[in-house]
Amino acid sequence: MLIEPTTTGIHSGRPQWKSRLKSFKEIIVRNDLAEAKGPEEQILREVEACGFSENAAFAIKLALEEAMTNAFRHGNRCDPTKRIVVRYQVTPQRTDIEVCDEGGGFCPDEVPDPTQPGFIDRPHGRGIMLMRAYLDEVAFSCEGNSVRLVKFNK
Amino acid sequence: MTMNTRKADSAKPTQRRFTTKVERLGDAVVLRLSGSCTMDVADGLTEAMVKLAAESVPLILLELSELDFIESTGLGGIVAGYLRLRRNQGEVKVVAPMPAIKDLLDLTRLSQLFPVYKTIEEAMSASSRRPS
Repeated sequence: MLIEPTTTGIHSGRPQWKSRLKSFKEIIVRNDLAEAKGPEEQILREVEACGFSENAAFAIKLALEEAMTNAFRHGNRCDPTKRIVVRYQVTPQRTDIEVCDEGGGFCPDEVPDPTQPGFIDRPHGRGIMLMRAYLDEVAFSCEGNSVRLVKFNK
Repeated sequence: MTMNTRKADSAKPTQRRFTTKVERLGDAVVLRLSGSCTMDVADGLTEAMVKLAAESVPLILLELSELDFIESTGLGGIVAGYLRLRRNQGEVKVVAPMPAIKDLLDLTRLSQLFPVYKTIEEAMSASSRRPS
């Protein structure tokens, strides 16, 4: 397997996450946007079954779409020979998702705020902002090629 | 490490299929979007917007009452069309978005670029262009 579970970087100093990761389900898909829909549909079915609200399900769907799109376009650079790994756990209390790609990573802090003057009319660059706005926790690995998403069922 | 590895289910998606429909309204165009504009179909929205912008239509009314989801690529497609339209002093207006979509437009501040109206009639009356 090319993409190892993330146990360093964002999760260093977070032993509870490393422990939780053991019980996560894992889905590996080709770097293809249509195929990337599979994990999303599976996760959303579990989210619905666990009683998350419609708004929470919308938020999870949006953040997951943004993470998968980033993995496909920016991480794996649309290369169909690469893969995206999704690890997740949905409980009645929270949804945890980790999306990993095979790219070289990036620094999220270098991405400009798309809501600032001069950036609003740019076609790209809203994905990270949307993930952060709709979820309770968003953390990128130090390498920048994986992101962890958390939504609590409030 | 023990890991539950499995392939994605092959069940049909529960979301509604994304469609676009173009209607002419005088010299304006109504582009009706419906369903879920997800990452795998968002390029279709970009193509529709850019195609209309290439016709130099003066006004695109995006009718969103049946659109239940859109992600950033789809939003970017709307912006891409708007940027081309703006070169010819064209406009884009949004009509009847669902609350979740309206929130998304406000959060991204795209509602500053695309004013939002409740009805097509309201959007048209706020414009200098009227149905012929």
